[in-house]
Amino acid sequence: MVMVLTRLHFTHPIHLIIGLTLWSLWFVAVYSGLSVACAVAPPPPEAGALTGLNAALGGVSFITALGLVALSWGSCQVAKQHEGRQRFHATVSAWLYLFSAFGVVFAGMPIISVPPCL
Amino acid sequence: MKSVNQEAIEHDPQQLHEDLHTIWGNPKGLRSLTIVNHTTLGLRFMVTGMVFFLIGGILAMLVRTQLAMPDQNFMSPDIYNQVTTMHGTVMMFLFAIPMLEGLAIYLIPKMIGARDLVCPRLTSLGYFCYLFGGIILTSSLIIEMAPSSGWFMYTPLSSKEFAPDLGSDFWLLGITFVEISAVSAGVELVVSILRTRTQGMALHKMPLFAWYILAMALMIVVGFPPLILGSVLLELERAVGMPFFQIAGGGDPLLWQHLFWLFGHPEVYIIFLPAAGIVSTLIPVFAGRPIVGYGWVVAAIAIMGFISFGLWVHHMFTVGIPQLAQAFFSAASMLVAVPTAIQVFVWLATLWLGKPKMKLPMLWVMGFLIIFVCGGLTGVMLALVPFNWQVHDTHFVVAHMHYVLVGGMFFPLIAGLYYWLPLFSGRMPSENLGRWGFWLTFLGFNGTFLIMHWTGLLGMPRRVYTYEAGSGWEIYNLLSSVSSFVLSAGIAMVLLDIALHFRFGKPAKHNPWNADTLEWANTMPPSAYNFVSLPTVETRHPLWDDPNLPHTMAKGMHGLAVASHGRREMWGTDPITGKVREIIHLPGNSWWPLFAAAALAVVCISLLTRVYALAGIFVVIAGVFLLRWSWENGAHPNAAPDAGVKPGDPPLHSRTMDGPGLWAMAVFLIANGSFFLSYLFGWFYLWTVSPEWQMPDIPPLSLLIMSIAGGAVLAGCVVIEKLVRGLRQQRDAGLRASFYLAAALGALQVGLAGWALWRADLSPTQTTHDAVMLVGLVYALFHGGLAVILTVLQGMRVGYGYVGAHAPFEPAVVALLWRYNVVTFWLLVGALAILPRMIGG
Ligand code: HEM
Ligand SMILES: [Cu+2]
Repeated sequence: MVMVLTRLHFTHPIHLIIGLTLWSLWFVAVYSGLSVACAVAPPPPEAGALTGLNAALGGVSFITALGLVALSWGSCQVAKQHEGRQRFHATVSAWLYLFSAFGVVFAGMPIISVPPCL
Repeated sequence: MKSVNQEAIEHDPQQLHEDLHTIWGNPKGLRSLTIVNHTTLGLRFMVTGMVFFLIGGILAMLVRTQLAMPDQNFMSPDIYNQVTTMHGTVMMFLFAIPMLEGLAIYLIPKMIGARDLVCPRLTSLGYFCYLFGGIILTSSLIIEMAPSSGWFMYTPLSSKEFAPDLGSDFWLLGITFVEISAVSAGVELVVSILRTRTQGMALHKMPLFAWYILAMALMIVVGFPPLILGSVLLELERAVGMPFFQIAGGGDPLLWQHLFWLFGHPEVYIIFLPAAGIVSTLIPVFAGRPIVGYGWVVAAIAIMGFISFGLWVHHMFTVGIPQLAQAFFSAASMLVAVPTAIQVFVWLATLWLGKPKMKLPMLWVMGFLIIFVCGGLTGVMLALVPFNWQVHDTHFVVAHMHYVLVGGMFFPLIAGLYYWLPLFSGRMPSENLGRWGFWLTFLGFNGTFLIMHWTGLLGMPRRVYTYEAGSGWEIYNLLSSVSSFVLSAGIAMVLLDIALHFRFGKPAKHNPWNADTLEWANTMPPSAYNFVSLPTVETRHPLWDDPNLPHTMAKGMHGLAVASHGRREMWGTDPITGKVREIIHLPGNSWWPLFAAAALAVVCISLLTRVYALAGIFVVIAGVFLLRWSWENGAHPNAAPDAGVKPGDPPLHSRTMDGPGLWAMAVFLIANGSFFLSYLFGWFYLWTVSPEWQMPDIPPLSLLIMSIAGGAVLAGCVVIEKLVRGLRQQRDAGLRASFYLAAALGALQVGLAGWALWRADLSPTQTTHDAVMLVGLVYALFHGGLAVILTVLQGMRVGYGYVGAHAPFEPAVVALLWRYNVVTFWLLVGALAILPRMIGG
């Protein structure tokens, strides 16, 4: 574990943008996945929200959110071991990872209840 | 930290000042057009921006006059459309963005302890592109041929069919021209903030304003290219009939909306971020304490920068997008309230815990807080899809938009202008006149736009030139129009105050607001080189922690207090830690930026008047000017032929492998990549969504030829990479031959790709498929050609002795372009030649 945490260099300021970049990639993936699926093979409207498409989108969102939470936890651990500049970057990154996870959950919530292609 | 050049030698300050002035000082008369200095150009940007604000404001008053009463004939419908469209366009593109960029250009080097921006000639090019583009665009009003399809230029309203006049062309060409300016400034601000902060100023010690500008600049770099692409496509459609946005040939008008709002939503945050940066700078100064939660603000800035790219569809809730997709964008729109709220609470907490002094700038900050929070609330309302459907395209939207734009940008801007006024002029504004100006503006603003929420809720659509008596909207419109004149009076008073203060203002004492940041270590008004010596700064509040700093800086007791070498110099520092890495030497004044911008203006005008031969000639001329400019770099006699530095000082950047030019190239390629990704988005979007899109049965592009071309560009790239690796180890044997070999491979790529294009026999005016394919190939040909030219020039520079083991910098920059070309070319091959074969129509 310690190995992994040092490998990821959580004190580098690049982590300030990785979480949100992952959020953006998730957003693009879900939005374009949905659009392409609806253009190519829309599930029948009567199926409601319980479709394979929703399941796939939900699965991707769940994994993304989980990964972001893990990264947030990692940054947080690393932050505690440092002072000054390094601590600053790791702490702010931890919050940004957490926010990105929240962003995935919040923006992905409708997947549970809205039919995909209406 | 080991610091460089820090022995506290006493120089003769007067002598030093005179020497620096000889090197940095601005020429007078006609030669003042060659000035590249950021202080002068920042002011030019702002003054020009104010002129456009006045034009935009007059247009707004015309609109309000027309709407004051029902059934008015003050303006004809067509003129009304032109006036509203131009009001929005001028305010957004010619006032808000350039004004804030101008402020950043003026302030950033001063705040981070540098002497200039990192690519001074680019600042100058940016200014002239802005000026010429703005003049071309506004001249359309004079000949009554202004764009009239709204500032968002929706197709098909803006297409040839419904807008046969030149109006749309003025918009598309003029705005693209102005955007060159925005993107140049964006690139340069990113690199300056990352690489030229003074010694010791680590990332987490830099002023918050620099964080805001960094985010804004990166957003410009990523956010503007989609619109540039959209404008290019629409202009191609209008000029030669390539059907990108017409259903008939296989296009889709919605593609325009996507491209526009992909730019348009980030745009409003591009405007808001620097304004918020002003607020975050002023509040701590007037509260007399550091900001509460610096890290929180940094996080909020990052969140805004990203999330705002995931909101664009909230402008398109009524165009028939699947509900689930709408829900994503609705939720994302609400997410952006989080960073906004963080900042508002940080500001309030700072005020709460400090002892705020209600000086004039603070009055505007308070006005901002009130108005902007209201605008934010109506924004969250609009993000709710059902509510959005109710008020879509009504005056409610206009009201919301002005609460966030005027409240979120104009109020902080005026706060900032008042705050930095003593720096510009050495004089203080008048509290009296200034207060009148504020209250009139504040009351007039709310009277105009608060009421507009109600007209909107009552159903009055926006962008209609009149309404009938008896509709129930009369009284509201009248009140709104009357208030807008109060607002104008307020703004006039502010401008009067600013104008008068240059003569009658009390002379300002040093650091008049007791601020903490380095810009106040300048003389007032500042000298052309900002600082006689560059200090070590390891705190967020240099002037609070060492009030004597301006004095020791002026006496030359810190770094780089030398001028005898005749170069314009400043520190190049590590982006994270702020350790000094090299000495950056900057180019002096130059005619090339003006000439290049003038040539581009001729291109713009000849495209407008459809004289394509002339446009072609001037594209070449502009290219020659730009290349000539790039020639005067590195070890060129006009740049830094002699690499001597004082013992103990780091080397000149052109003698290292990692100068700012490399960073500028990288950031520019991010912009370019955003353009390219928007293109790929367009291709796949039309392919999947467009109703009449047709994939030809036989793929027209030869996969074999394209693959060989891809192999050639890859081989060229390998040659360049090897040569750069050699230079890194100080080896430069056979350098010139390697450059020419790479150039030959590049030429082979261009030739082959051109041949594949010719064999494909496309009919780009018949089908959208062929039109899109043509655009992609032309893009690849252009980039391939550019790499060839730059590589040949490098070979020549080796011959002149400007490039080699002693000056290894430039090949590394060119290598980046090669890598970019390899990646984009293969992506194109994949998207245009391989995938269609695999999937088919
Ligand atoms: C100075 C006082 C201002 C007044 C009195 C004013 C007034 C108006 C009015 C009445 C409209 C609505 C036209 C319609 O939909 O029929 C409008 C549109 C607009 N305004 Fe302003 N405005 C002002 C300042 C600004 C500023 C500072 C900005 C941006 C920074 C701005 C950006 C816009 C935009 C983008 C539109 C939409 C134009 C369109 O739909 O084509 N305005 N303004
Ligand atoms: Cu928006």
